Amino acid sequence: MIELVQQIFNGLAIGAVYTLIGIGLTIVFGILGIAHFAHGVVAMSGGYVAFILIERFGIPFFAAVFLSMLAGAVFGILIERIAYRPVQNAPPINAFIIALGLTMMLDGLNLLTFGPDQIVVRTPYTHVYNWFGIVVTELRVVVLSCTAVLLLLMWLFVSRTKTGRAIRAVAQNRGAATLMGVNANAVAYVVFGLSSALGVAGGALVGAMLALAPGLGESLVIKGFAVLILGGLGSIPGAILGGLILGVSESLAAGYISSSYKDVIAFAVMIIVLLFRPEGLMGKK
Amino acid sequence: MKSVMNNRIWLVLFIAFSLMAPRLISVPYFLHLMILALIWVVIAQGQNLIQGFTGYVSIASAGFMGVGAYASTLLCLRVGLSVWEAMVCAPVITALIAVFVGYPSLRVKGHYFAIVTLAYNLVIFIVLNNFSSLTGGEGGLTNVPRPEGLSIAGLSISFEGREAYYYLVLGAAFFTTLICALILRSRVGQVLLAIRQNETLAQAVGIETWHYKLFAFVLSAAFAGLAGALYAHFIGFLNPEPFGVDQSLNAILAVILGGSGTLSGPVVGAFLVVALPEYLRVADTLRLVVYGALLIVTTIYLPRGVVPMLVAGFSRLMVFFKRNV
Repeated sequence: MIELVQQIFNGLAIGAVYTLIGIGLTIVFGILGIAHFAHGVVAMSGGYVAFILIERFGIPFFAAVFLSMLAGAVFGILIERIAYRPVQNAPPINAFIIALGLTMMLDGLNLLTFGPDQIVVRTPYTHVYNWFGIVVTELRVVVLSCTAVLLLLMWLFVSRTKTGRAIRAVAQNRGAATLMGVNANAVAYVVFGLSSALGVAGGALVGAMLALAPGLGESLVIKGFAVLILGGLGSIPGAILGGLILGVSESLAAGYISSSYKDVIAFAVMIIVLLFRPEGLMGKK
Repeated sequence: MKSVMNNRIWLVLFIAFSLMAPRLISVPYFLHLMILALIWVVIAQGQNLIQGFTGYVSIASAGFMGVGAYASTLLCLRVGLSVWEAMVCAPVITALIAVFVGYPSLRVKGHYFAIVTLAYNLVIFIVLNNFSSLTGGEGGLTNVPRPEGLSIAGLSISFEGREAYYYLVLGAAFFTTLICALILRSRVGQVLLAIRQNETLAQAVGIETWHYKLFAFVLSAAFAGLAGALYAHFIGFLNPEPFGVDQSLNAILAVILGGSGTLSGPVVGAFLVVALPEYLRVADTLRLVVYGALLIVTTIYLPRGVVPMLVAGFSRLMVFFKRNV
């Protein structure tokens, strides 16, 4: 029983990161209709930036994560402008192929710049608590609370600000929003900035909790899309639920079946959901 | 009429060259590359079937190639089938697996289909790496046999050398291209094109689109499986490394570079993706970066690929000559 609770808790922390990655994908897909496959590798690059800021410049963890989120936002905006904007009116699959190209490029650049070895983002949160026999590392608590705060901030931004209202308008009907005077191109920048910043936060947290290595970006983004498929396209509560389910099922699979097959289990969950509820758990029919 | 004639001339020249190639190419390494390129033609034709004709980008080609490669090798080494029998069984096994995995994944469209197939490729890769008792894990399987010699009309052919194997893969490449050409001209091919252009409309006129999509998916997987078997018995050593996601991306690149939805496009694209890394060997570390950049630039500036662009350029040139000469 205690082991089960332990595994679920560990899974929740991983699931929180998947949620962060998945939310970025959801808003880009839900609002702009782009399957931003390069999201994972952008998140990874952000993790590397945080690592450099901490190791080279001695910046404290949270400040480093914040700075790398800013850098990620700028980078996301650049990607939108340079790579996705030219194919805005082409068939949607072109944007996806561009995303694959971006992934290869950024992965190659990361490999060249940071080398093939794993790195871990250092944090000062190394305490380990023991609550009723369950081992709770301080880092996992930090990850969970960071995610909660970021999601709350994002929700406030989208629901309470004028820009947020513009974003929702474009999501509902791009044409009508443009006619009402919303600058859809500017909204695309904001959405990419927001999504990349959240992704980078996820990347830095993964780097702190597990490790960063070339190729991790792809597996992260696939988990992100699995979250999307699980939760339902464009649904933010769905992304949260999907992320947590994915994290927990992965952790249970690693604990009770085999850790080398944990990704297989995660994808099996995704495929089962597709079979029985193709619109996702929280998606609309 | 003129362009049909031109096409025929090109085709005859191409066939003549490909038949003569082992005589013309004196460097063994180039023949090795030619064989790899022809294997890639098989993969790219399969990828084109689902990506170019049907408009569903599958990122599982390399995974299915791995299934075919391991199926064929294991049938030889463990079951004791002859290489020829195993090579015939491999695409069938791959196709069966593709039926099972294709059904759920074809319930989703567009990007989601791409992502689900990508997940398949990852799963296949994980299984190949971890199911060591069967696949040998990362260390792989050694001593994959070449096909047994044949004797046709008193003429014995040994496949130990590169030359005979070249003709074998050439045959496979022609066979798959021919199948694609036949499909394209049949009703099935027209339905596949209709699905790419407007799936809702195709459904509205009463076509059960998922039958056709599943057919394209399964056949493309079978081609990949055949290519995998050809690859395994050619290289003689098998480990999971060539069946990762990046090779699936390579297959997509081959189709896009060559010209998706055309018959000659995948052929050109296959030769390009085998030749490019050789050219880029000086900058091996930059290979991924250059590849990615190529993919982006091609999609933005040459969305229809190299072959249609060359054809358009060529016919413009002919018009220019007619006017001025």
